[in-house]
Amino acid sequence: MGNPLSLWHFYFRNKRKVLPVIGILALAILGVVVTDSLLASARETAYATYGSYQKLILIAPRATRDQDLANPLQDSLAQLREVQLQVDVLDGPGGLSSYYAAVTAISGRVQAQLPAMRRLQTDAANARYYAARLRGDLVPLGDLIVRVQRLQSEEKAFEQLVQQLAQNPNDPRPLLAYLQQHQTLLRTVLPDSAQLGRLQAAVTSASSDAAGLQQSLQAMSRDTANLNSAGRKVADLPIPPSPSATIDQFKVALDHLTASLGSIQSPQPGLEKLVADSAHIPGTAFVKRDAYSNLDINMLAGQAQFDLYGFDQPGMAQLLALYGDRVAVGRLPRADANEIAISEEIARSRQVWIGGKLGNNVDELDRLPDAFTVVGIIRGPTRIGLIPLDYMTEHYLFERRYQGLVVVPQTGHEQAVHDQLQALIGDSAFRLFDWSYIKAKIDSLIANLDVINRFLILLVTIVLALVVGLLNNLFFRQRMNEFGLLAAVGYSRWGLILRVVWESLGVTLASWLIGVGLGVAVLSWFNISFIVPHGLLMNVFDWNVLLLHTLPIPLMVFLFGMGTVGWQLLRLDPISIIERRD
Amino acid sequence: MLSGYDLALDYRTGGSVAHAVDNVNLAVDQGSFVGLIGPSGSGKSSLMYLLSGLKRPTRGSVTFEGRDYHGIPAGGLMRLRRQRFGFVFQQHFLINYLSALENVMVGAVRRNHEVAAYGQELLRRVGLGNKLEKRPYQLSIGERQRVAVARALVHHPAVVFADEPTASLDQATGREVINLLADYRARGEGSLVVVTHDPAMLTGADRVLQMRDGKLSAA
Ligand SMILES: Nc1ncnc2c1ncn2[C@@H]1O[C@H](COP(=O)(O)OP(=O)(O)O)[C@@H](O)[C@H]1O
Ligand SMILES: [Mg+2]
Repeated sequence: MGNPLSLWHFYFRNKRKVLPVIGILALAILGVVVTDSLLASARETAYATYGSYQKLILIAPRATRDQDLANPLQDSLAQLREVQLQVDVLDGPGGLSSYYAAVTAISGRVQAQLPAMRRLQTDAANARYYAARLRGDLVPLGDLIVRVQRLQSEEKAFEQLVQQLAQNPNDPRPLLAYLQQHQTLLRTVLPDSAQLGRLQAAVTSASSDAAGLQQSLQAMSRDTANLNSAGRKVADLPIPPSPSATIDQFKVALDHLTASLGSIQSPQPGLEKLVADSAHIPGTAFVKRDAYSNLDINMLAGQAQFDLYGFDQPGMAQLLALYGDRVAVGRLPRADANEIAISEEIARSRQVWIGGKLGNNVDELDRLPDAFTVVGIIRGPTRIGLIPLDYMTEHYLFERRYQGLVVVPQTGHEQAVHDQLQALIGDSAFRLFDWSYIKAKIDSLIANLDVINRFLILLVTIVLALVVGLLNNLFFRQRMNEFGLLAAVGYSRWGLILRVVWESLGVTLASWLIGVGLGVAVLSWFNISFIVPHGLLMNVFDWNVLLLHTLPIPLMVFLFGMGTVGWQLLRLDPISIIERRD
Repeated sequence: MLSGYDLALDYRTGGSVAHAVDNVNLAVDQGSFVGLIGPSGSGKSSLMYLLSGLKRPTRGSVTFEGRDYHGIPAGGLMRLRRQRFGFVFQQHFLINYLSALENVMVGAVRRNHEVAAYGQELLRRVGLGNKLEKRPYQLSIGERQRVAVARALVHHPAVVFADEPTASLDQATGREVINLLADYRARGEGSLVVVTHDPAMLTGADRVLQMRDGKLSAA
């Protein structure tokens, strides 16, 4: 015969009172496990998405895309007008053409005497040729720059329209107004959006003609200098006055245009030097030029940009080796091909596989332009995405601006390399992205959710402590006779308190175990059916979450319940219970 | 064996003082059956609480087997009640989620097969041999009180205190309960102190004492 006051007796004989309490508590604990794990999952997924930064430092131009495009274009247009003006002057009276005419008019006798004169003639002819070509180049270039600018302002107007419509979807007036205003413009501009590529051809052609003209002008001034020194011996030589002032003026304007046009198609100035200097920082494993881009991916806490590395072929292999990743299916992207290799999780997240397409044509939030074909699936500890540097820089005029460099420090030298790089960059147009920066960004994002979550847990804990505490008290009141009798016949007060402590402890412990167990079951199911297929990350057995974060609920409920019941038990007067007449 | 000397118990409520027990001298001999009668409010229960150590007297002293309660700390009095005394109250105070036998075992000091067998034997003696596993709500009022009596006897107490054990029962059932208690005394197992306001219940008593306004007198 066991103790009739044993815990088991109590639980089994009071199932209908004990089980609902266990159920409520277990469900609350299950809730905490699930929300907490999802939060941890969001953080882990974010860490994994940017995990590649743990071993490298990205240095990228500071400027945004809008500024990148607008300023060089605006500037170039101004320079273009100036050059057009100067070309007219150069070609006009007292300019290059009249000089050329004067030079060719010099008699054959003199020319035969002075071979330098023939060279001057040839160079002047060349200069005239390049000047004429440049004039021709400048016309479509100007036209194109204007169109691109219009396209940009159109994009802004369109964005505004979208915002207006999103705020008030039932009001068609903004749409009508927009269409009326922009109808003709759209008709002229929209088909030319493809001409972004032609702009590059025009810029290239104008640059090379400008260079030719510059060379010819330099040759001419050399020739004139030679002639002048030789001419002193031939006193009566009718050398026409050189239009050097006009030429100098033109050169200045041309230099400005060249620099301005160059800035459109060239990477951020200073990149070459930065690449070279970074390689000399002690503790650097390797440095790579990087035409970076990104993909839009869905994470638990919202959208995020998964960064792609635009490397050359050796660089791709180096990066894989750095992380211990490997190409599990397919191959790495070929040079100068619009191909991409990505980690398996990212492929799952975007629901693509070998042969699938990624890029701005597929998802408007991708920065990766057009559509790239997935040719490789990468497997390994770190998630990465690789695209070819040359394809990015040679096929997209504006992607050239998104060139930076990746510096990989040797282990143990991370901080030193970081500091040296920071010093190297100074306050130039570059900025530095490393793991501590990225991690801080992620943490601050998650921190908000964390606060909400903690508040919820606190709320649930308090409400539960009150509700279960109240139930506990109600139940306890029903058992007053039991405790009154036991105290009267000589059961010790502390023994009785200990008994309800054990009873409560058993209930809270059971609900804790059941809640955590249920939590693990639900999370496992969710992990298999959602998290993994979407390329997200979740730790089902996060003991920190399972044990520590869920502890406040049973603890609070227990302490609150015990506090009130214990207090009543301590003050319990058995005689008043015995004398009570019901 | 159990004696009270010049016992007094005052209840102070607000400004007034109620002399619930007033200068009582009393001795309960070993194996005796003492009956206490008196009208409601005369201090019977209060005297019983003093004798059983449930309350400390305002004045006077109680000794049990030669030991003065003054020299025994609260824990010691508790153990005394638990091990040497048995209690029956007007209400049965059975624990509703325990069976009849389990309720009896609540009174047991040690729990082993012999004690359990004795518990069953007691229930059989009170006529509940076939209702060992019944819960209190499955028993009649009289049966419940009989379980309560068995609970008060299972640890062989030296003194059984019964405060109005029959007040909730009809005459015949009350009689049975008193007989069960008297039987315990008759077996020579211990003394019996029965408080009641029904003199008919005390026919088997060695001594019947009358209480009135806290004072004791022979009936
Ligand atoms: N807790 C208490 N506080 C104040 N007075 C009490 C208390 N308990 C009993 N009394 C008073 O003490 C006297 C004796 O009560 P009691 O011993 O219960 O008598 P009986 O058991 O004979 O009915 C009564 O006048 C009663 O009102
Ligand atoms: Mg009474």
